[in-house]
Amino acid sequence: MSSSSSPSGSGADLSERRGIPAAKFIQDVETYLSQSGFDSNSALAFHQERLQQYKVVEMKLLAQQRDLQAKIPDIEKCLEVVATLEARKGTGESLLADFEVSEGIYSRACIEDTDSVCLWLGANVMLEYSCEEATTLLKNNLENAKASLEVLVADLQFLRDQVTVTQVTIARIYNYDVHQRRVKQVTTPTAIAAADS
Amino acid sequence: MQQQGKSSGSEMEVTWEDQQNINTFSRFNNRFHELEDEIKFAKEKCDNLEDAGNELILADEEMVRFQIGEVFAHVPKDEVETRIEEMKEATCKTLEKLEQEKESLVSQMAELKKVLYAKFKDSINLEED
Repeated sequence: MSSSSSPSGSGADLSERRGIPAAKFIQDVETYLSQSGFDSNSALAFHQERLQQYKVVEMKLLAQQRDLQAKIPDIEKCLEVVATLEARKGTGESLLADFEVSEGIYSRACIEDTDSVCLWLGANVMLEYSCEEATTLLKNNLENAKASLEVLVADLQFLRDQVTVTQVTIARIYNYDVHQRRVKQVTTPTAIAAADS
Repeated sequence: MQQQGKSSGSEMEVTWEDQQNINTFSRFNNRFHELEDEIKFAKEKCDNLEDAGNELILADEEMVRFQIGEVFAHVPKDEVETRIEEMKEATCKTLEKLEQEKESLVSQMAELKKVLYAKFKDSINLEED
């Protein structure tokens, strides 16, 4: 099938992005149908299926986006706590904190002046770090999470563009089909009328 | 006789430029809805911080339990006041930026609407459902 994207497209000339196939833009419905050998119904079915596939991928990406968007405030909270501990380091006074033991039940903790914190790394693993190392690690994680989120958002935008192109294509093929049927309806009675006279 | 009227635009040609305009409008629309949620969230946060500041003035304890992360740390009142001021400023600045982005988005969308309606008239619907 001939490529139909103009070179002046704003970076939308990719044939696929990270496994998501791009939706080819059709310049002319009639040419597309005759070239591909599709008839209207099978072309419609093909594009409908493509649309469904895109929707599935969109759901997946949205879920990933939600996860990342929840992770980032968590990391920021951890950074805040470590920063507070670091600020207290020189003063020698201990920090009193009320923390949640269970829902509605809080207990008081006395946090002594300390050089190290323990970070939960996931998978039932917790490691002890000095305050500086902890800050560096958390900052790294935050940067990575933000970068991943950016890539994800770009992916979603690309995907949504392909969904829009596919929806417009479906509408155009459908309109073309309706138009063809109308033309046939008009010309067939005329032919019969001509044959009768 | 051939049908010659533009019956529900079934003969409308869609160029690549039109498609790109439609795509851009869709992106803007999505971003607009995201912005509305973000603005709502930022407004709420601003209001909460405002309320917290007011409560603080009324409170007469020296030590205030201030939430840092998941725990409530005992922090002297002055420090809490400073922190809340900082947070309020940051949130208000973010809110302002978001509102500006929303405004520019609305005007860009109005432009695109004009272009698309001019080309497609009734064949396209760009309104909120």
